[in-house]
Amino acid sequence: MSTEVTCSEPGAVPKLSAIPVSRRFHAILLVALAAGLCALPSVVSGYAMTLAVEIMIAGIFTSGINLLTGYTGLVSLGQAMFFGLGGYGIAIGTALLGWPLWASVPVTLVVVAATASAIGAICTRTRGVEFLLITLAFSQMFYGAAVKLRWTNGSDGMTGIPRPDLSLLGVSADSPVTFYYYVLAVSVLALLLLWRVVNSPFGSILVGIRENERRMMSMGYAVANYKIGSFALAAMVCAVAGILQAQYTYFVSPDSMSWQMSGEGVLMVIIGGASVIFGPFVGAAVFVVVKQALSLITEEYNLFFGIFFMLVVAFFRGGVLGAVNTLIGKRR
Amino acid sequence: MQYFLIQVLNGVQLSMLVFLLAVGLTLIFGLMNILNLAHGAFFTMGAYFGLVVANRTGSFWLALLIGPLLPFAAGFVLQFFILQPLAQRGRSTHLDLALLTFGLLFATAGAVEYIFGSAFHSIATPEILNGRIALLGIEYPLYRLFVIAVGIAIALALVLVIDRTLIGATLRAGVDNREMVTALGININVLFALVFGLGSALAGFAGVISAPVMSIYSNMGIGIVVTTFVVVVVGGLGNLRGSFYASLIVGMTDTFAQAFVPEAELFAVYALLIVVMIFRPQGLFGAVGRVA
Repeated sequence: MSTEVTCSEPGAVPKLSAIPVSRRFHAILLVALAAGLCALPSVVSGYAMTLAVEIMIAGIFTSGINLLTGYTGLVSLGQAMFFGLGGYGIAIGTALLGWPLWASVPVTLVVVAATASAIGAICTRTRGVEFLLITLAFSQMFYGAAVKLRWTNGSDGMTGIPRPDLSLLGVSADSPVTFYYYVLAVSVLALLLLWRVVNSPFGSILVGIRENERRMMSMGYAVANYKIGSFALAAMVCAVAGILQAQYTYFVSPDSMSWQMSGEGVLMVIIGGASVIFGPFVGAAVFVVVKQALSLITEEYNLFFGIFFMLVVAFFRGGVLGAVNTLIGKRR
Repeated sequence: MQYFLIQVLNGVQLSMLVFLLAVGLTLIFGLMNILNLAHGAFFTMGAYFGLVVANRTGSFWLALLIGPLLPFAAGFVLQFFILQPLAQRGRSTHLDLALLTFGLLFATAGAVEYIFGSAFHSIATPEILNGRIALLGIEYPLYRLFVIAVGIAIALALVLVIDRTLIGATLRAGVDNREMVTALGININVLFALVFGLGSALAGFAGVISAPVMSIYSNMGIGIVVTTFVVVVVGGLGNLRGSFYASLIVGMTDTFAQAFVPEAELFAVYALLIVVMIFRPQGLFGAVGRVA
């Protein structure tokens, strides 16, 4: 097999190269972000705040994909199934079973983790494009189930999903500002968790698997278990985003599990720069803003989504943070 | 019993349709190692171009003949001017290329919707194939039998071309050792682009031939392409014969699920895929080599 046409062997572990973002840049970004995000509701209008909420939800979803795709090197086109499962989980828990939200959320996450472990055990037996296709097929299966099942209202979806009861703090989550802070808090928690994971020995092993799976195996790591672990953790993060999305719109439908949704996630990972911890949020910001701008000018969203996707994949591999980093490097 | 027999024939007919798509997908993957997620786009493209031809000329046969030409050209251009240069630049892996074609799939669906709107269309069955034929105690639409026959004919023709002709030998050589084939004076880039075009044309052909039995709409390619993925994975990626058998298995599973367990309609084929993946991750017919 020649190296000219195929840059890696069939079935080789895909490599999305890590981009070292300088420490100082990270620190400046962090402080600016924190200050900006906390002050945002007092500065901007309601429209910008809904954008910010959408960006953060998309950012959490993308962070989950990034753990799997950027760090572990497994490109999945089926992460939307966990996004959707999160939303459906709390919808079924609260609306159908009549459980309180504080019980529905953890039960949902446990169910997602168990489901993802089982699915991950099957999917991670393959790699490369086969992995991509299997994850896609699994998510299509859940999509099909969601469309068909009558007790979740089929393709109409479920409404009336509750937001958290924050009356103890004297506020209502139904107000946009409170909900903004709620999503912000969850985003920060998710990022901290992922940051800890990525910088733990577990995270190093995942990167090791991405870079050279065979070597990790010969060093005695149970590679399969780590891949399943990464798959399940990524799924839980995606489910958290799905829960927030369902609360944000008070609604969940099979569309949240469509493979376009999964594709958007992968696109946001690429835009932001794979395997950078902030990348997903940057990618989400660019994507959500572009999407909003597009929807203002045209109704042919699919057409422009497709073209945008192709351009990004063809010419934009390091992502936004990668580009910024190269600029900083050049100036020095 | 009669109902059962009709379902068997329906299953074979669907299988042949899916095979026409799967064969291009698996050929392109086997030869160029590119997973063409945009394969459904060529299906759509062929169907709409065939529709335009049929509306202008009123002839189904012209539509069937001319319809696949547009996807052929589009596939050739995509491989020769976009995918090939990107792969040669060395920056993109086959996964990047797969993602790029994913974008193309949606761009095409969007473009089609922009030009033709989101209405459903159909091409009329040609007069000569209109009607039913008595067969083993049942009456079956002649046109569906025609689809089955065409599918089998194309499968046989492809096997013959790849196993028994010089072109087929060149293709197989190109998979094994690209440099050697180039050194022998064969322009492999053009050859690969032609194969990509041929695979796309077959998808477009499937689009036209399915038009009298299914409807034409902007997202038609997105739905069927996932079924096609199931076929190529079950058959073993890059395995031509495997994809034929897998087409039959998947087509039958899908048809029988629809006929006898309608609740499972949308996930029977995926359940099949999962079972296959648990026991044979390389696909049912995935052999050692990946020669198409």
